[in-house]
Amino acid sequence: MPEDDDRILLDWDALEVGETFKKYEYVLTQEMIDTYREGVMDPEAGFPTISHKVDIKQFNAKYRDDGSVNARCAFYCYNPPVAGKKLTVRAWVADKYVRRGKNYTVTEAVSVDEDGRLIDRVITHELKQPTEVGKKWGG
Amino acid sequence: MGRVAKAQRVGDEIEPLAKHVTQEAINLFEGSAGRSAPSQFTDEATARETLGTEGTVASGRMSLSFALEFLRRHFGGEVFNHSGTVDLRFLRPVRPGDTITFSGIVADVSREAGGRRVSVDIKMMNQRGDTAGVGTGSAVVPNAFFPPEE
Repeated sequence: MPEDDDRILLDWDALEVGETFKKYEYVLTQEMIDTYREGVMDPEAGFPTISHKVDIKQFNAKYRDDGSVNARCAFYCYNPPVAGKKLTVRAWVADKYVRRGKNYTVTEAVSVDEDGRLIDRVITHELKQPTEVGKKWGG
Repeated sequence: MGRVAKAQRVGDEIEPLAKHVTQEAINLFEGSAGRSAPSQFTDEATARETLGTEGTVASGRMSLSFALEFLRRHFGGEVFNHSGTVDLRFLRPVRPGDTITFSGIVADVSREAGGRRVSVDIKMMNQRGDTAGVGTGSAVVPNAFFPPEE
């Protein structure tokens, strides 16, 4: 962990469901869209916002931990974003739970563009013991 | 009307979609959001340290993107991009070199305001025949997209 990392060490037990993170804003550029479409090999892909991982971005901006693994992800399409528009993201802790002795967090985020169009909603369940992947699935 | 009327009956199979995942594709996916720092997705040493794996893995959100394409192809963009949902559980890591294939079956059709919600059970298999993910998806298909009722 870098010495100048001023993020809070995550205390999973103390994490409050409902905690809302600072608003996040960014401009979705045509280059971002083109690069995403090339990466997913889908020239018509409508939601390049997925790769921005906006629900965990603000979580990770506030908390530091040993990393995490995406265990489950839900996505709701409302309107494909338009290149050049500023997107505003509201994100919060939607839930947390323990399953088979492992800790999970659930974050949720909603994106809206500068014209007020609802873009998408994403909900992600993250396993907070990422080394379980190596233990279970090896190299 | 220019619309292809499709019955969307329970039990209908969805046309499968296969995707070959490369490290280059993963790097593009991660880079499309402006990330350049090494991660478990782009750097083997970071993956070893964070996940305990020998190599990198693809982000679950990359598989999620493939699932969106899978259902968009079925429902059409004008329907799916405005009412589509996907909820995927990731059961096995997807690694560079893997080919993952999405398949699905219409599981339910229910009436909603303005149309019918068509729900699909989704399965994601790798080239070894392992189930890498399972989930559900749906879209609200406008009534005008259905053939006239018999």
